[in-house]
Amino acid sequence: MAGYGDPGITNGGSNNMTIWWLVLIMATLGSGGLAFIWLLVRIANAGAPKNERHPIDSIREAADQDVEHIFNADFREELRNRGRLHFEKIIGENAMFLQQDLRLTTSQLNDYMKTEITNKLKEEFNKYEQSIMDAKQLAIESIQKTNAAIDEQRQLLSQQIQKEILAEKQQTVKRFEANMTDIVNHYVLAAVGNQIDLSDQLEYILGELEANKQAIIEDINSGA
Amino acid sequence: MAPSSSRNHQREFSLPPTVAGPADVSRLLRELEAIDNSLLQLGLRSGGGSVKMPKTSKLMDQLIQHNELNLLHKDDRQTLKQYLGAIHDKAPVIHMSFGTDPSPAFMEKLVVWLRREIHPLLLLTTGLQPTIGAGCIVRTTNKYFDLSLRQDFAGKRQLLLDKLKGLEPGQ
Repeated sequence: MAGYGDPGITNGGSNNMTIWWLVLIMATLGSGGLAFIWLLVRIANAGAPKNERHPIDSIREAADQDVEHIFNADFREELRNRGRLHFEKIIGENAMFLQQDLRLTTSQLNDYMKTEITNKLKEEFNKYEQSIMDAKQLAIESIQKTNAAIDEQRQLLSQQIQKEILAEKQQTVKRFEANMTDIVNHYVLAAVGNQIDLSDQLEYILGELEANKQAIIEDINSGA
Repeated sequence: MAPSSSRNHQREFSLPPTVAGPADVSRLLRELEAIDNSLLQLGLRSGGGSVKMPKTSKLMDQLIQHNELNLLHKDDRQTLKQYLGAIHDKAPVIHMSFGTDPSPAFMEKLVVWLRREIHPLLLLTTGLQPTIGAGCIVRTTNKYFDLSLRQDFAGKRQLLLDKLKGLEPGQ
């Protein structure tokens, strides 16, 4: 293939020019394409962070460097010490405030607890007293019922005993009347039995025999 | 029971009051038998040795004195034996119970009354029954007579009841 600058060819110069033009056009088109591509890339990376250093950053770096220069280690140590002291002071104050607050809270808590406990105790005591009163009332009612039952039983028992005593008395009187002869005889024997001699009874015995003489004679005469 | 062939005794035979019961009659019969045997032996031994006469008991003495008998006479002994045998077999017997043991004097008076009022040859047996108290209980052949104080009280039961209730008799 021959270039546009080839002298040996007549039309060689125009051809070279054409090639150059083509190259130029091609280059132009290529650069245009590249520019278009770059543009597309820029457009595509429009939302992405830029890695390029901003001038403000540079200023900031410079300011930082100045700050580093101003706030050196000694100054920072002093500031740290001051800060520590201030922090300790604040902590102390806060501790004091906290202590006061704690004491106050404790006192209030004690008062609250006393009040609550007192109220609770009063309430419980009231309940306890009420329970005792209820129990007392129940016990009183029970005792009253028991007393009433005992009185009733006592009356029944008394009536029953009186009936039994009366029946026993009547029975004793009946027995006494039924066995009165033996009882009187026993009494007479116990009282004067030793003092009664048969000789003293002879008149009585003969009198009784006289009264039954006829029956005895009849029985004797009738034979065995 | 009059003896039919008694030599000296035409009167009625009787028992002394001390001979009260069948036991006494039996005892007299045995004693009389012993006397009879002794006298029989005495008669058989006429040859000579001393023969001891049997002693009579107080009861026998009273009996023969009461009936005026002489036991040396065989007829009297025979008569007495017949009488006692007849009395032992046929005399009426009554039993009387007392609260205490009767004394001989009491028994004698009682037997005298019984033989005078009830039967002249009545025999009496006695018993002891402490529950009687006063009085006696008479048991004949067929009957029972409670003559005790207890029976008397029983007969006067209403009177006792009236007295206990404070009533006058008859109210």
